[in-house]
Formats: sequence, structure tokens, C-alpha cells
Amino acid sequence: MENNRAIQNQLNFEFRGNGMEYFKIWIVNILLTILTLGIYSAWATVRNRRYFYSNTVLDNTSFSYLADPINILKARVIAVSAFIVYSVVSGLSPVAGIAILLVLLLLFPYFLNKSLAFNHRMSAYKNIQFRFSASYKQAFMVMYVWPLLGMLTLGILYPLVFVKVNEYMVKNSAYGTSKFDFNAGYKDYGIIFLIMIGVGLLFGAIVWAISVFVPALAFSVPVLMAVIYFGLIVYFMVETSNLFYRSTILGEHGFTANLTMAGLAKVIITNAFFILITLGLYLPAAKVRMAKYMCSCLVMNAAGSLDTHAAAEKENISALGEQFGEVFDFGM
Amino acid sequence: MQITGNYHDGKTTASLQAQLAVVPDQPGTVRVSFLSTTNPLSSSLDLLFSDLKIASRLGNIPREISFGDGQLFVTDDNDAVDDLIRRYSGSASRLHRLETNIPLILFSVVFTIMLVWAGVVYGIPASAKAIAFNLPGFTSEKLGSSLSVLDRTVFEVSALPASRQKEIRELIAPYLGYYQQLDPKLVFRSGMQANALALPSGEIVLTDDFVNLVKNDQELLAVFFHEMGHLQHRHIVRRALQGTMLSLMIVFITGDVDSFDLITGLPTLILDLSYSREFEREADVFALEQLARFGISPRHFAAVMARLEDYYTEQSKKSERADQQTLQSDGLSAKRSVSDFFSSHPATEDRIELILQYQKNRSENGLKGQTK
Repeated sequence: MENNRAIQNQLNFEFRGNGMEYFKIWIVNILLTILTLGIYSAWATVRNRRYFYSNTVLDNTSFSYLADPINILKARVIAVSAFIVYSVVSGLSPVAGIAILLVLLLLFPYFLNKSLAFNHRMSAYKNIQFRFSASYKQAFMVMYVWPLLGMLTLGILYPLVFVKVNEYMVKNSAYGTSKFDFNAGYKDYGIIFLIMIGVGLLFGAIVWAISVFVPALAFSVPVLMAVIYFGLIVYFMVETSNLFYRSTILGEHGFTANLTMAGLAKVIITNAFFILITLGLYLPAAKVRMAKYMCSCLVMNAAGSLDTHAAAEKENISALGEQFGEVFDFGM
Repeated sequence: MQITGNYHDGKTTASLQAQLAVVPDQPGTVRVSFLSTTNPLSSSLDLLFSDLKIASRLGNIPREISFGDGQLFVTDDNDAVDDLIRRYSGSASRLHRLETNIPLILFSVVFTIMLVWAGVVYGIPASAKAIAFNLPGFTSEKLGSSLSVLDRTVFEVSALPASRQKEIRELIAPYLGYYQQLDPKLVFRSGMQANALALPSGEIVLTDDFVNLVKNDQELLAVFFHEMGHLQHRHIVRRALQGTMLSLMIVFITGDVDSFDLITGLPTLILDLSYSREFEREADVFALEQLARFGISPRHFAAVMARLEDYYTEQSKKSERADQQTLQSDGLSAKRSVSDFFSSHPATEDRIELILQYQKNRSENGLKGQTK
């Protein structure tokens, strides 16, 4: 494809964190969280996020995370109290429990919007904050309607679910006053799904043939199946990430990601191995390695300078939406 | 003292190279001077130190000093910023000092490992047990898989002749009375290979393949007692509770839900399986006690265990799917090809060892008893 844009600047993302340095911060945060019976967890969350945002560097400038731990603590207290109330009520009267659950299900899209708005607002680059604003209907569609349609059509519409979710996330986001756009369609995700299904069936058939015709090798079948399964997951992560970034546009600027299966698989496998043999102590270093790898694959194709983006109007968004999202655990 | 950094006005992404310094003759005042000559505003800004909002120090990340309406001064010179803070307000970067304090870090590592170990080995099993036995609500069918779900997914109607089913019911019937508080009900189904399951609702499911596999009534009773052990000890409810607590503990300690993914999922799975093996041992011990109580030799238990082992070895040769089935089912099934670490059941050798040990202890005690 020919690119007709103006002169492009290739700006690399870079992650400057260090596994050992982050480990120290992480373990002291855990100690303080335990000693304060969880209260410090709000500070720990902010410090963890600040570490990752501020070590992510683009064009020699780092991102930053701005949230005030006190706001997160307040929201956490409210969300946890609500969860306890819900548990107690549903234990005493299942009917009331179901009623509360239904109300919560209706509120979740609202909380999702608030949560994304809070996190975007608390993220900044070059002292300009990100923004997110979506309608209740949009959130409701991506949380409930599209996934349901994907299932009802036996997966035929599933690629469309990915399109809709990413459109919701990206098109409603802005950097200052510049809006993000997303231009991948059903076909782009459909091809990824088709290749996964095709390759999965092909390898599945080969393994089946081995188990039938070479019984001596049958013992290797579970291992082979696990390898194929892992390979497909990595393929999916690589292809959807690359597609996501190359389809995301910020004004005149575009992005490129070049994750590879070998690169990502190496990080995942070695991370899992070290986490296991260190009984979890490698977890912070593993996160740093993953961030380093992701950033090393990511390039911004800037058209001209990044110094012309303007800040948007200030608005206050509470952390409550985000915390409801975390406590009641609806992942996107 | 000069701190070199970048100034942002809060309105656009543009930045200016700047220096921040203390103004010597005006106490409490700092000055931001712009190095660039093209600055449209002015050549410097005078600010009160008390109006500066200085981000806490964290690792080596750039330090952000904000003031006024969204203006920002960013510098990599963390030490100089700390010096500046110390000049006006005593101590700087307390958290950073904790986070770089090697003895404290070593203490945190040891403390956290010990706490997690104590929680996993003692805290979680003990509290799950307490909850399972003290909160009647938790024994309802809503936890764990209920028979109707299994009927829709894996089970089909039993193909055993009615006479054989009646025979087994009559064999078990005299013993059901002893466990009335558990409300056990015997159910026959086909599917799930040779298996016996205890559901939290009190249903004991025997699969056709299992009934066809046992060689005599005593073997069938041994397995029945094992399943009664699961009911008696409320294992399904406890396993669900322990799984939940394990996840909560990981979230509590690591402080964020994000890290609960594939990587933390694996240790959770391994711990969950080790809890499961503990429950199987508990059910085995219960079965042995009941066999002794009704005067049935534990060798029947060992025999049926060995037979199930052979059955599954045979099955796994036939298809690799046996592997998953034994891992998923809660029933009495054994499997050696998967290492002990990744299995929901203890190795059959160990279980037979337990039976022999039990038998030996009992005969020793029995001999002592006879000398009275």
C-alpha cells in the first residue's frame, strides 16, 4: 500500500523500567499493604501504575499517571462496602440478591464508561491528558449485545465483536482535543479467526493421525495438543495486537506494531518458567520484561511534530466507576 | 543549585528547556528560567515553594513538579529535587527510601513468603473448613456442579439392567441409614468412563463402566464409602471456597486485578490440585474407617484402586482424552502418566500404600486389643 501522507517521523516507544528496581518497589508495597490491612493498596496501585507509565517513553518524553491515592482509596472503600452489602443481602434473601444483581448489571455499562474516563483522564503525555467519553448505549452494546450476538451466531459474528469493542475503546478516546480513530473491519478480524481455525484443525488432524497410526508416539499427544493450543493463543495475541495498533489513528499520526510469534512466545515461556521456580517473586520482573517487549515492537508514525496537541476542558471524574469495575470484575 | 528540565504550559504539548533554582535573597521562592530565547511569555517565572506540587520519588522515573493552572516542570535529576525539598521541609522521599532499603526489602521477601505459605497451607484450608461447616447456606447445590447440569452435558441414562441397579441399591441400603444427616441418594448414569462422584446435593453417581469394572460387593462399598467421605467432609464446597480465597489472596497481595492472568493462573491451578489431592486422602481415610467399622477388609479398597489404575492406563492408550477427564472429574479415578504435581488425585501407589499402612496399624492395634 502506498502511503500518501506528509513526511513521516518514525518515533519508537521504549520501556526504561528495570526488573530489579521494580521488584524492590513491588515487594515493599506488598509489605506495607499487608501491615496496613489493605489500606495501603491504593498507594501501591498508584505507585505500580506510575512506574509503568513514567518508564514508557515516546519521543524522549515519558507518559505519566496522575491519580491521587486518596481518591482511589475512597472509591475502593465504597465499592467493597457495596460488595459486602450485596453478599449479605443475597445470602439472606436470594430474590433481593437477584434484584440487586440486575440493577448492577444495568449499572455496569455506566461504571465502565466512568472507569475508562477516569483512567484516561489520569493518563498524560507531555502534560496533556487523555480523555474518554462514550454514551451508555455504546457501553451497553459492547458489554452485552455484541457478545451475545457473537454467541447466538455460533461465532460467525465474533470478529465483529472485536471490531465493535475496539471501536468503542479507541473512537471514544482522545488525546487532549485530538480524537483517536479506528479503521479495522470485520474482514481483518475474520481472517485471523479463519487462519486460527484452519491451522488448529490441520494440526489437530496431524496429531490425531499420529495417535492412530503410530501408537508408539501416543504418549506425546497431550504435549503436542498443549503446544498447538499455546501456539494458537500466541498467534491470536500477536495478530490482534498488530492489527489493533496499525488500525489506530490519532489525527494525522498512525501506529505500527511488529510483534512476532517467536518474540512473544519467548517472553511468555521464560517469564512463566522464572515465576514458577521463584515461587512468584519474578512476577514484577516478568511484567517489566513484557512491557519492554511490547514497547520495542511499537512505533508511532508521526506526521510532523507532536508538539501541537492542545489540552481539553477540565472536568472532574471520580475514581468510583473504576473501582466498581475492579471489585465486580467485568473485564473487557 | 540548578535543576535542569522541561517546562510545559498545560495548554499544548510544546515544551521549553528550563532550569529551576532557589532565589537566594527571597526566602521560600524558586525561579523557573527558560533557556530558549524564543519563549513568548517571559524569561522566567517566580514561584513560592509552598505552591509547588512535587510528585513523590519512584525508582528512576522523571520527577514532575506542577504549579499554577496545569503548568509542569519535569526533570530527571531526582537527587536535586530531594535536596530542594529538604531545604524547605525536613525530609524527602520517605517511600523511596523504604523502597531502596535493602534490609527492609529482604525482610519483606521473607515475611511475604512466610505469610503466603502459612495462608496457603493453614489459613485457607482452616477458614474454608470453618465456613463450610458453620454456614448452612454454603451446602446448597448452587456451589459445585449439580446433577442436572451434568445430565445435560456429560451423562446419559444408565444402560445397566434394572435388576443390577436394584441389586446395588439393596447392597447399599443398609448403610445409608448410618449417614442420614448427609442425605445420600444413589444415582446411576452412563458416561464419564469408570467413575464415581459425590455431588454437594448428596447424590452419589456411579457410572456404568465403573459398576461393570468392580469385581465384588466389597469393592463397590469401598468406593461408596470414599464418596461418602467427600460428602462428610463437604469437599466440593471447601474446594470452591479455597479456590476463591486463593484468588482473593493473590489480588490482595499483588494489589491489582490486572496481574491475575495466565501467569498467576498456573500456580493457582497447581495449588488447587494439591488441595484436591489432600481431599482425596481425607476421603480415603474416611473409607478405611468405614470399612473397618463394618468389618470389610481394606484389601478390597486396594484391589479396586489397582483395577481403576489399570483401566485408566488402558484408556489413555486408547485416547488422549482420558487425561482431561480424570483431571476434571472429582470421582475416584487414578492416573499415573501425569506427574503428581498436575493431578487432582494422589498417585495410586501412594493411595495403596496408605491402605496397607492403615491395615498394618490396625492389625497391630487389634493384636494389642485382643490381649485384654
